Amino acid sequence: MTEEQQLKLQAFLDGELPEKDAREVAAWVARDAEATDLLAELRNTRKALADFEPALKLPESREFYWSKIQREIQRLEPVQAPAKSPSLFTLLRRALLPLGAVAVLAVAGVFAFRQFSTQGGTSHTQVNAMLADVGAIHYRDQAQGMTVIWLSYPAEKKLADNPPASTLPAK
Amino acid sequence: MAETAYSSADDPALVRAAQKGDTDAFEELVARHRDKIYARAFSMMRHEDEAVDLSQEAWVKGWQRLAQFQGESSFATWMTRIVINLCLDELRKQKRHRTESIEEMDEESGGVERQMPVITTNPTERLERGELRQRIDQAMAQMSNEHRTVLVLHEFEEMEYKEIAKAMNCSIGTVMSRLFYARRKLAALLADLKKQE
Amino acid sequence: MRFGLFCVSLLLVTVFLFPGVTLAASDTGTVNIEAQLVWGTNGPKPDSKLKLVGPKMSERLKSSPFKWDHYYEVNRQTVPVKINKATTIPMSKDCQIVITYLGDSQIKLDLIGKGQLVNTVTQALPKGELLVVGGNAENSTAWFVIIRQAD
Repeated sequence: MTEEQQLKLQAFLDGELPEKDAREVAAWVARDAEATDLLAELRNTRKALADFEPALKLPESREFYWSKIQREIQRLEPVQAPAKSPSLFTLLRRALLPLGAVAVLAVAGVFAFRQFSTQGGTSHTQVNAMLADVGAIHYRDQAQGMTVIWLSYPAEKKLADNPPASTLPAK
Repeated sequence: MAETAYSSADDPALVRAAQKGDTDAFEELVARHRDKIYARAFSMMRHEDEAVDLSQEAWVKGWQRLAQFQGESSFATWMTRIVINLCLDELRKQKRHRTESIEEMDEESGGVERQMPVITTNPTERLERGELRQRIDQAMAQMSNEHRTVLVLHEFEEMEYKEIAKAMNCSIGTVMSRLFYARRKLAALLADLKKQE
Repeated sequence: MRFGLFCVSLLLVTVFLFPGVTLAASDTGTVNIEAQLVWGTNGPKPDSKLKLVGPKMSERLKSSPFKWDHYYEVNRQTVPVKINKATTIPMSKDCQIVITYLGDSQIKLDLIGKGQLVNTVTQALPKGELLVVGGNAENSTAWFVIIRQAD
């Protein structure tokens, strides 16, 4: 069988032949055992692949994966031109009136909390991360009680070769 | 939370919302289709880290080009094409830096496998789906990038020869040769794996 | 009338939005901070002297997005940190951390690498919680600095 015939057989299998050529190949396959066998092999392989969609799962959690995409989207968004700034007095007036009301409520809440809580400390972790590394990614796993910050800091060389430092903390 | 609000919306609704700038809607789309996009990237690159990076790059590009998506295909198909193009670009970059082995050049011309005897027994007969998947995965991992790519584009993406030729920047004849070779190589590898057991 | 309301608001904000000043922290003590330097890898043990982290820590790290199979402890120190006093803890030749306890379970962590400030985090760290700061190391491995309140 020539190379051209082999490729024509494949094209016939894949429905890539014009109708006339397809009819000719079908007739040839019907009378040629070698062509029949090769077509069967190609068909088996195609069938095996048809059932194989790789059942792969992304090896990262939804939140972590999205956080990196979101960061990149934000980095690439065009920067908005700043609006004309209002006067200081207008700013103060706008901010302080509602803030004053919030402050009163907040104080009432703090007093109530302190009244009833058995020890200090909030039950929610609030992160205020000031990142010197602007490429860092922040991730919170509530279930594990873990806050993760992943830096773009360059690789440390031979981490384990550095002898562990003295257990005495620096004063 | 976004999860409750968007998890019941269909893709077209989410796309419309995302096109108006709603990142929560886009995040839901990412969550729905991330495995598929990653799987496609992994099939082509065969490298987990590269596949993760390229899939993320695809999502970012998808966000940037959302306005161009008019619903001519499903959103998942549209995203898959984006990640495929990114993978093809990456493979081309890697090829420029790689020295081709003699075996790979022979693969390109379809040397040995053209003369290979036909495998008359079906090596995938009586295999469990999971086992077959594993064997195909092993066999695909042994192929060159070009042959694996043409298989992925034709068998998984159901692209026609001329579409593949355009995507891979080669002639239709080259696509046909590579596909033929890849299929015969796969059949041989599957038969070989069966023999080893 | 408006101006009067404005003045009252200003007073309220000044007095009540800075509780650290007016509501004195009831916590004036010390916390014991445990800091671990950990190496994550999929390969063989990088140094025969290193030991795997404990099973609970391993489980927490493996349940996270991190992809490494093995986590080895390079260094661990437990240090008392007094309130509002920055305490330096050397973790390796090139890495040190500076912990400041701000009271009320709030801590500030400065990560110093090769003499440069790499990262600063301020957050609440109640008992049982972990703060993990990490980054890539060579050969597809990773380093982690893990901070928690010691038992």
